[in-house]
Amino acid sequence: MTTADITREEILAVYPKVAKIMADALGCDVEQVRLDVSLIDGLNAESIDFLDLVFGLERTFKVKIPRGKIVEDARGDLPAAAFEEKGYLTDVGLKRLREYLSEVPADRFDSPMRVGDIPRLFTPETFCKVVARGLRAQGAEGTSAPRPDA
Amino acid sequence: MPDRFSAFSFVDRITALEAGQRACGRFLIPAGLPAFSTCLVAEAVGQLAAWVAMAQAEFRRRPVAALSAETRIVGEASPGDILDLGVEIERCDPDAVAYGGWARVADTPVLEMCGCVGPMLPLEDFDAPEAMRGDFETLCGPGARPSRFPGITAPDLSLIERIPGRRLRAALHVPVSAPFFGDHFPRRTVFPASLLLDAQIRLAVRLAGETLPPGEPLRPVRVADVKMRSFILPGHAVEIETVMRSATDRAAELTLAAMVAGKRVATGRMEIVSQAPG
Repeated sequence: MTTADITREEILAVYPKVAKIMADALGCDVEQVRLDVSLIDGLNAESIDFLDLVFGLERTFKVKIPRGKIVEDARGDLPAAAFEEKGYLTDVGLKRLREYLSEVPADRFDSPMRVGDIPRLFTPETFCKVVARGLRAQGAEGTSAPRPDA
Repeated sequence: MPDRFSAFSFVDRITALEAGQRACGRFLIPAGLPAFSTCLVAEAVGQLAAWVAMAQAEFRRRPVAALSAETRIVGEASPGDILDLGVEIERCDPDAVAYGGWARVADTPVLEMCGCVGPMLPLEDFDAPEAMRGDFETLCGPGARPSRFPGITAPDLSLIERIPGRRLRAALHVPVSAPFFGDHFPRRTVFPASLLLDAQIRLAVRLAGETLPPGEPLRPVRVADVKMRSFILPGHAVEIETVMRSATDRAAELTLAAMVAGKRVATGRMEIVSQAPG
């Protein structure tokens, strides 16, 4: 399963609930949670907000979102040493990340890019994809995927 | 360190434990105390969950208070009571613990908590891991010496701004030193989130008293969406604020916030009702 497999319909199906959870976690209006806004630079998200957000998404959608999952999934089968070196993404690693975070405009990626700055790229759409992938994985395991509004 | 494992410790004994899953514990509220805040009951539940999480992490990491989706206050605990505590661990990994829990006195519910999350941080930054492991073995075995908690003097609140029935803002003077800092935590002193919440509830009850009709006593019954964004340290000047969101003739819903040096460090909501206990 790759990120590219996630359809627009799947993203939009979970977006309203994801936006509500984000608005609650960030203390902002749900209208501010546009699909493409940067959570850190646009909505002032801090690390505790990401923790709040991830647990909110897990509880609502009944999916598991391990910490670091986005970066791990972006790395895929690439060995860790080939993905990053001394805290910076390698050229191959940066290419993988751009492909994985395809919703993020190219000009928002630094080059070289610090691994610690990757969360600055995250948008609501990033997390919609994570949720959609989790729901798909549940379906693949033969469990019945819960409704997003469950 | 005479205050360690006593001045801010609210589990005397762990009476049942399923590693990483659930636990039950007990705490005797010392009979000589003038009162025992509901926030300290919540602290006791959180500490039981912390012991389970620390043991699961082999005493390499410990949780700190961060998020609490909902706490329902359904009863009271008084000095001399034995608090029965229980926690269910929803998830525990090296990064965070998520749990729910409860406290009862003589089978009567006092407090129910759900959706609590604490990030796990390096334990050695806060206390000596081997000492914590030893304390855990004591709790799981014979138990710690009861009635070792000496009580706490609530930090002073000074009103800064008052818009009657709508908003109160007060300065909370966190002491530079206090016995509880010796236990919270021995290597890194942090003002306990439960004491901040206690001050916020006191302010919120005062505001609710300006709105709800006089007569019945005011009872905090629910605290929700609590989020601690950063540590409050000894000597910090904290501004706390409560704002009335809505009110009927029997209940008020308020928001809570705390700021340090202009930065928001804690937020939450709460509900206060006007009714006699029970």
